[in-house]
Amino acid sequence: MAQGLAARIYTIIPENNRIERIWLLAKTDFNIQYSSNALGVIWAFVYPLMRILIYYVVFSFVFAKDIPNYGFYIFSGIMIWMYFQESTKGGLKVMRSKRYLLENIRFNKLDVYYASILTNLIGFLVNISVFLAMMIITGLPITWKLIYYPIFIINLMMLCLGLSLILSTINVYLKDISQLWELVLLLMFWINPIFFAKQKIFNMFPALLYANPLAGIIINSRDVIMYGKDPDWFLVGYNYVLAGSILAIGVWSFNKFFHKAIEKI
Amino acid sequence: MSEDNVVIRLENVSKTFTIRDKVSGNLLKKSWAFASGGNKRRIEAVKNINLEVKKGEFLGIVGANGCGKSTLIHLMTGVYKPDKGGTASIDGTYIRLSLGLGFNGQLTARENIYLNGSVMGVKISELNKNFRKIIEFAELQKFVNTKLKYFSRGMRARLAFAVAVHAEADIILMDEFFGGVGDERFKARSDEIFQKAFVNGRTIVHVSHNMRTIKQYADRVVLLHEGECRGIGSPDEILDLYRETIKVRRLSMREE
Repeated sequence: MAQGLAARIYTIIPENNRIERIWLLAKTDFNIQYSSNALGVIWAFVYPLMRILIYYVVFSFVFAKDIPNYGFYIFSGIMIWMYFQESTKGGLKVMRSKRYLLENIRFNKLDVYYASILTNLIGFLVNISVFLAMMIITGLPITWKLIYYPIFIINLMMLCLGLSLILSTINVYLKDISQLWELVLLLMFWINPIFFAKQKIFNMFPALLYANPLAGIIINSRDVIMYGKDPDWFLVGYNYVLAGSILAIGVWSFNKFFHKAIEKI
Repeated sequence: MSEDNVVIRLENVSKTFTIRDKVSGNLLKKSWAFASGGNKRRIEAVKNINLEVKKGEFLGIVGANGCGKSTLIHLMTGVYKPDKGGTASIDGTYIRLSLGLGFNGQLTARENIYLNGSVMGVKISELNKNFRKIIEFAELQKFVNTKLKYFSRGMRARLAFAVAVHAEADIILMDEFFGGVGDERFKARSDEIFQKAFVNGRTIVHVSHNMRTIKQYADRVVLLHEGECRGIGSPDEILDLYRETIKVRRLSMREE
């Protein structure tokens, strides 16, 4: 049965090995990240959980728990955030870290970007499973609205892919972009509804909801996975348009500047 | 595939790099240099090259250091774009082999074989089949699970060559690849491969200082001198010409 299915999948895949290759690139990167540590892949589980625990302890002090199920509130936001942070930071370096392939072998250069986006998806999916497991353990209801969740994963991946393409191209010309991006990340971390209740931020600065491409994703995905609510479809559409535009700019800039960039690495 | 079996075609290809030299001095001097472009220099690495490489051909490229050989390889692969007015095209899968590059030091020999093979377009099932052959060819049976950073240059070269050969790249571009590595035994076997490559219709572009290999295997040789093509022809002709240019250069240097 499984064999037959695998064979069928193989017939769908065109004669080249593109999907296999992207997956292998992603898997290899994932292994590099963790294999050199003593605890290995366990870090992929432990690190996010410890982070969430620390934030939870600190922020329940500060905010005196004005949000119910605050631990889950943070968790649902932070797993989106961590995917965004890790994949844009990784994507920024792709052209340098994958130079040994880009320069020597003929293949579709975008594959290394797809792979870099996929690498962090592995950790993201682990986080989602842990999140759901904890919801079940603590008795919070999981509703069928969960089927909407992949919409936000795809939206997030589009956004990160676009930003990776843009940032990695800039990185060749202007190395300072990695420091600049750290600052942007720091700012985004605090203007997104990761710890705060969303009303707190957006009542003060309504424009922020639309100006930053991550806010809508965090709000909607949280509604779906944690509260069992329908997403705000207008916001979903808006975020897709935004991520799509960023991706389009990314692909354009990559195609335009890739050859120039590779000379300068 | 084009009708006349040309796999690499360069027409009026030139390549000019604009580089900025580092400015020493205070911030004012630096920003002035940045704004005015006073530290900019144009370097014509390759000038107006016309060249066609046929399928199955063994093309040698010779020339003194800094004459644009490596740039020419990059132009062939399309990684560098030629200056306006020139076109470069390559037909088929290729791998560029050069020392020290091409592998990730953090990965083991096994992982590198799979990654490079897959990126070149070989399916994993194929790689499973060929894996032992690759390892045996590279004589790295004892280092399958060793990270590449612990490999010597010779070991890396053997591995890269083994992957390139077994991944069946249509075109293999070697950039001073055997410069000072590989013992006699490995050389003998790479010679064997060079011979087989003709049979399989593999195209090889070989940048080298090793006159023996060029003389023995190259169908045609290109002589580059300061970015210009000084001649294309049979190995004997071009190698004689090459020796002369070196002599002239030595003489002119002495006069200076």
